[in-house]
Amino acid sequence: MERIVAGFVAALRENGIRVSPGESLDAVQALGLCGMAGRRSSRLLLRLTLVKNVHDIPVFNEVFNRYFSRYPFVDPELNIPDLMDAALIDLEGEFNYLNPQQSDDHDQAGPLLKLDSEIHPEDLAELKSLTEIDPDDSDGNEIVVQMKGHRGKAKAPRPTRRYTQNPLTIELNKGSSTDSGITFTPEEQMAMQDVVSRMMLRLRKDMKRMKSNQNRGKLHVIKTIQKNYRHDMVPFQVALRRKRRQKPRLVVLCDVSFSVSHASRFMLLLLHTLHNQMLDVRSFIFNRQVAEITEMLANMPVNDLMEVIDRGDIVDLDENSSFGEVFLTFKKKHLENLRGRPAFIILGDARNNYGEANDWVLDEIREKARYMLWLTPEDRETWRRGDCLMEIYGAYCDKVEVVKTVEDLSLVVEGLLRDIYADQAHPLDKKRLREAREAEAYDPKDYYTRGGNGGSEPGFDPSGRSRW
Amino acid sequence: MISEQGVKDLLNASGYIADDAIATAVFLALHMEKPILIEGPPGVGKTGLAKALSSALDFPLVRLQCYEGIDEGKALYDWEYGKQLLYTQLLRTQLDTYLSVSADLREAVERLSAEESLFFSKNFLVQRPILRSFLSEKRSLLLIDEIDRSDDEFEALLLECLSDFQVSIPELGVIEAKRKPLTILTSNGTRMISDALRRRCLYLYIGYPELEREVAIVRAKFPDLCEELARQMVEFLRKARELNLRKPPSVSETLDWGEVLSILKATQLTPEIVANTVGVIAKHQTDLQKVTELAVQELS
Repeated sequence: MERIVAGFVAALRENGIRVSPGESLDAVQALGLCGMAGRRSSRLLLRLTLVKNVHDIPVFNEVFNRYFSRYPFVDPELNIPDLMDAALIDLEGEFNYLNPQQSDDHDQAGPLLKLDSEIHPEDLAELKSLTEIDPDDSDGNEIVVQMKGHRGKAKAPRPTRRYTQNPLTIELNKGSSTDSGITFTPEEQMAMQDVVSRMMLRLRKDMKRMKSNQNRGKLHVIKTIQKNYRHDMVPFQVALRRKRRQKPRLVVLCDVSFSVSHASRFMLLLLHTLHNQMLDVRSFIFNRQVAEITEMLANMPVNDLMEVIDRGDIVDLDENSSFGEVFLTFKKKHLENLRGRPAFIILGDARNNYGEANDWVLDEIREKARYMLWLTPEDRETWRRGDCLMEIYGAYCDKVEVVKTVEDLSLVVEGLLRDIYADQAHPLDKKRLREAREAEAYDPKDYYTRGGNGGSEPGFDPSGRSRW
Repeated sequence: MISEQGVKDLLNASGYIADDAIATAVFLALHMEKPILIEGPPGVGKTGLAKALSSALDFPLVRLQCYEGIDEGKALYDWEYGKQLLYTQLLRTQLDTYLSVSADLREAVERLSAEESLFFSKNFLVQRPILRSFLSEKRSLLLIDEIDRSDDEFEALLLECLSDFQVSIPELGVIEAKRKPLTILTSNGTRMISDALRRRCLYLYIGYPELEREVAIVRAKFPDLCEELARQMVEFLRKARELNLRKPPSVSETLDWGEVLSILKATQLTPEIVANTVGVIAKHQTDLQKVTELAVQELS
């Protein structure tokens, strides 16, 4: 039994679930305690002891099915004809497995293959579990496989209905209607959640470092008395006054026009996730018009919001983007009622379609802003080409960053937030922070990345969409 | 020794309808003496399981509610400064006579320091939940609720307690648990809990229950509610959970609703009844609308 468990643990590790030796010992102990009463209960036991995260459960189920499909299992409740059928199906499955025609590049072996063979009524249960594993491919395997290849290759802008599409793409899109490229898959949302929560963790650490030093203030008499009430007012514990910390404010202007839609998609997702975490963020999107979406980001599921934006219900997407005009309207409508000294992030390619630049507005925004950051998905070489006004606009910004991947984006935003926090800190704290950050140069986040990934973020998605 | 089925039956008898996963987890926790970490959406009965277990197994429940900023002084132990002070005041005369024997100052200090452990003894120790459950004569049930609300430091503090069931107090040394308590940690997943803590626990994910189990839960709680209505209710709520609501109705909402319906003496769900009682199951303005729409669609 130990051997089987060890083998199974190895299979789990191969699939990215981190199982410690202690946990496999637990599993063996648990199996010894409960005995092997059947497939279901053994699976329960193994799951209870080996899996420590909800998101690992589907993977675990899959590995379990695959690993233990090699061992023929006998359910005592089954009667003989059913057993025969099961054996038959098994055989056929094996046949299919050996058949070279079936070797597709899907990594789900075992139960999946049965789909290709004749479907028996007994298979229904299996089929149900199949849809659980893979909700997308309702239209058969081949189409999805092709879809993936297509998406992976095409780094071109995503096709939307406003642009002529070649018939191939249309047909493929029909194949899986849920995956039209606008909305986010749960995995993408999860990955973003992951990136953001890790970012928050690092930021919070910074905050704590500062906070501990910030206790050096004047004595807060009332609080000290309150705190030491039970010690007969003998001040064992001292409460000190603390300066009120300003919540960092952030204003984001995000271009949603077609040319940068890839970048803005993830920016919006990042904003949405940030929104749920903390911060005072006001978000605007623009193309030719500009509109505030702060409320919507906070209250709508992100996929619904993406669809609304993509339909052009908030800002008209059929027009050419015009930065000059946007800045002007922004100044008229919104600039006056921005509170505090927010940090500005503008995401766009600065392609103004040869309209009025209106760069003087940026100067005014700059006066209001603590910090101004421009994010562009384009490389520096192309900043002068065509209608790109990056050089002009960039002159007003504190920093212009090229962001191409989700990791870039989150790093840049994190750096910005850090700077904002550090801005309010005591000079001594700043020095300490800097030192601490240097010490962290070999990012501890590597610790969490699952083995074999070489320190990069855990695979954002398989079709290469995290690259814009 | 209770068997798996025994655990299930005990829980059922105390009104908590458990499925196999829950029963197995409890069984293992009882025998392997490991804590269970329970995760799941709010209101599926994570804390409820602990309460039911405590009454079913007759373990006294020791509850520790976590919050941001909780520390060892609130969770493990604390020194009773006030009492210490009071005692030094009261014992002053005794001390005077005790120390007056000594020839010089040096000797007095030595004499005093020989006795100073007196003031850091169990007399002056305030037991906080974790230590209390460790020192309980009877095996207790330690519930560490919503661990995700606490800070990282506190999590690290728990590691020693949960893996070895002991508390280190610098002045007293290591205090080991008399009876290892059955420990249950719950989390709503608002923060990632460190792998170190996860590794020390059995991991149980409680999701929304299956149809039959949820009907059974409602029936167990409100026996006067007719089976048909209970089933209809649960089926409706299951559909509502798929609506992508901001706060999907959970088992606790199901039970609240069951109570409301049994008070109203309803016999069948109609769109009107749903519209009147929708506040029980939906907790956001937008959700209210969606649920009422669903009721019109499904029930008329």
